[in-house]
Amino acid sequence: MEIKTTSKDNATTLSLNGRIDTATAPELEQAINKVIDGGQRKVLLDFAGVTYISSGGLRVLLATAKKLKNPGDKFGICALSPEVLKILKLAGFTSIFSIYPSEGEALAGW
Amino acid sequence: MPAGNDQLVSLEWQPLPGAGGATIFPLIRKIDTVSSNSYIIQTPDAIILIDPGGLAAQAEQLMQVVTECRAAKERPFFILLTHAHIDHFIAIQNTPALAVAGAAVLMVQEEGAACLERGDAAMTQAAMFNTTIAPIKAGFHLVTSDRREHPGEPVELCFSNGALATVTAFPAGATSLSLNRETIVFGPASPPLEVFHTPGHSRDSICIRMGGLLFIGDLFFAANPGIAGLVGWSQEDLVRSLDGIGVLLDKGEISVLCPGHGRLIPVADAKKMLPLVKRDAATLADIAEFNPDRAAEIATYAEDIMEQVNQLFTVMAGRLYYVSYVLDELEESGTAEELGTLIKGDDIDELLDAFRTFSDEHHKKKGVSVHLALKAGQVVGKLQRTFKTDELAHIIDPGIVRRTERLLSDYITIFRGFTPPREVSVVDLSSLIEALIEGLTIPPISCNAVFSSTDDEKAFARVLLASIGTRPLLEDMDVVIGNAPDALFVTIDRENFADILTYILEDLVGKGSPAIRIAVCGSGGDATVSISGTTPSSSPECESRKTDRFLTGLCERAGASLAVSHGEDTRNTYMIQVNRIV
Repeated sequence: MEIKTTSKDNATTLSLNGRIDTATAPELEQAINKVIDGGQRKVLLDFAGVTYISSGGLRVLLATAKKLKNPGDKFGICALSPEVLKILKLAGFTSIFSIYPSEGEALAGW
Repeated sequence: MPAGNDQLVSLEWQPLPGAGGATIFPLIRKIDTVSSNSYIIQTPDAIILIDPGGLAAQAEQLMQVVTECRAAKERPFFILLTHAHIDHFIAIQNTPALAVAGAAVLMVQEEGAACLERGDAAMTQAAMFNTTIAPIKAGFHLVTSDRREHPGEPVELCFSNGALATVTAFPAGATSLSLNRETIVFGPASPPLEVFHTPGHSRDSICIRMGGLLFIGDLFFAANPGIAGLVGWSQEDLVRSLDGIGVLLDKGEISVLCPGHGRLIPVADAKKMLPLVKRDAATLADIAEFNPDRAAEIATYAEDIMEQVNQLFTVMAGRLYYVSYVLDELEESGTAEELGTLIKGDDIDELLDAFRTFSDEHHKKKGVSVHLALKAGQVVGKLQRTFKTDELAHIIDPGIVRRTERLLSDYITIFRGFTPPREVSVVDLSSLIEALIEGLTIPPISCNAVFSSTDDEKAFARVLLASIGTRPLLEDMDVVIGNAPDALFVTIDRENFADILTYILEDLVGKGSPAIRIAVCGSGGDATVSISGTTPSSSPECESRKTDRFLTGLCERAGASLAVSHGEDTRNTYMIQVNRIV
């Protein structure tokens, strides 16, 4: 999985490309933790290139939501494919963090 | 393979238990469908190879050992097949050394010999592995009906390689054994070799005994899914053969069973396994033949259901994570941790990943269907053992748990050669749709249930978990139902119908359709349910095709037919048609 990190407007976007599965979920968790440990409290995951998410990937998303729940913190996901959106919706995750159609729309509200 | 009191060591010469003068060199492989175990026996008068296997490298290894034996003392060389399935013998055809090595005599039960001589791709399972075999001439036919006409009379034989042997036939029932058998003596200093005809796995299956060892081929696997029903398989024969081997084991002369695949079996374990194999075999009356066409159908079905299984397991694991997240927020982290044991997410992810990788390789290398069907069977079996359905169904939507359970058990049922059970009844389609939609809209746990459980700590915890874990699919959804003005009676399997409706609605809701329209109408002899919604963008073609194929198959099992259209304007319409009872 490719992870590209960009920062603008006081938020960091991690643009992901590939599958989030057993092999790649730890890599994603590490990349997110690095951003949070660096002091960033507004994190957006751009899922435009994500074709699949496993339960291990879901766990990483929840762990991130737990870390970013203080007042002023922001955590969201944008540009989900229909398959990944379906998994997040049916698992109930869309009530924990915000889902945005695009990076622009997410950051505009932050 | 470690040596035990009653075990043998793989790839080493050692005395053959209970057979003075004979030694054995076992080659024990990890179980697969490509090649069998092989066993080389040497006596002062002969070298005997049981099942050369299916791999050229294995055959070369065996031939090196045989060549060394013959260099030490020249003796006639015999190759015996426990049965003529390609994983047990194809090395003969593909390894020149085996075919010409000092004119080895190939000994096969007479029906197997006939299959080899006509190059029968179906009976040898070559067709199943998408290959062919050239005709092979067996040098000697074992357990023949001709010799049974002269029971107990020793027949002196002189083989093409100059070897001499004495064969005596004993028909079933001539002794306490219910199996046709023959005794072969290769020379004055050699212990006798007994051959028992044990059809069932194949028509030509035999068990071979020397001293305390019984070489059983695939007898103990014969009732397994993906093996039962192979061309030449017979339930009736298998049960009879298992009975006969049971009597043989009770005589106390055998200490270890040497199977065609996997580890050796001490006789005490074999006696425990035998009734279980027999019990499985007894349930397999009238199973469908497991031939290449069926293997292809099952492989396609496997890929279709694994797509759904993947989604269902990910959603179930996600729901549990969600519940544990909410519990953490409520400072109930102890309960949250307990939930983690209900689904082993990492194990499940690994299993599903393993199947996907296998499937990708299968398509890239144009693999044979039976391998994909078997892999799916293995993964589904492990998934069934991995999740605790009853406990899960108390916490997350029991509908998801039940559907997953049924998907897995349906695969095993079909894989075993049966048809999943179907219970059809006459229902009014409009009322059924309304009831199903209501069930997917109203929360299963009412406020009253939460309030009335507050006095009992355990009951409250249970209700709390369920109320967090179960979220009605259509809770916040704009669903419009247009029902037919009059009752529309149809004959349908309610559970399968409920499943298909749920799968369709989940797909539309999950992919973000803002509204769903359901129309029920009747026209002449047909009743039609049309479900439509608009999703922001369409799924990749391959996944969409698998899902549509899965839904179409499920619909047929419900007693209906399905037509799916994914419009360019992102409108998805599912039309279910059922015969109407007028």
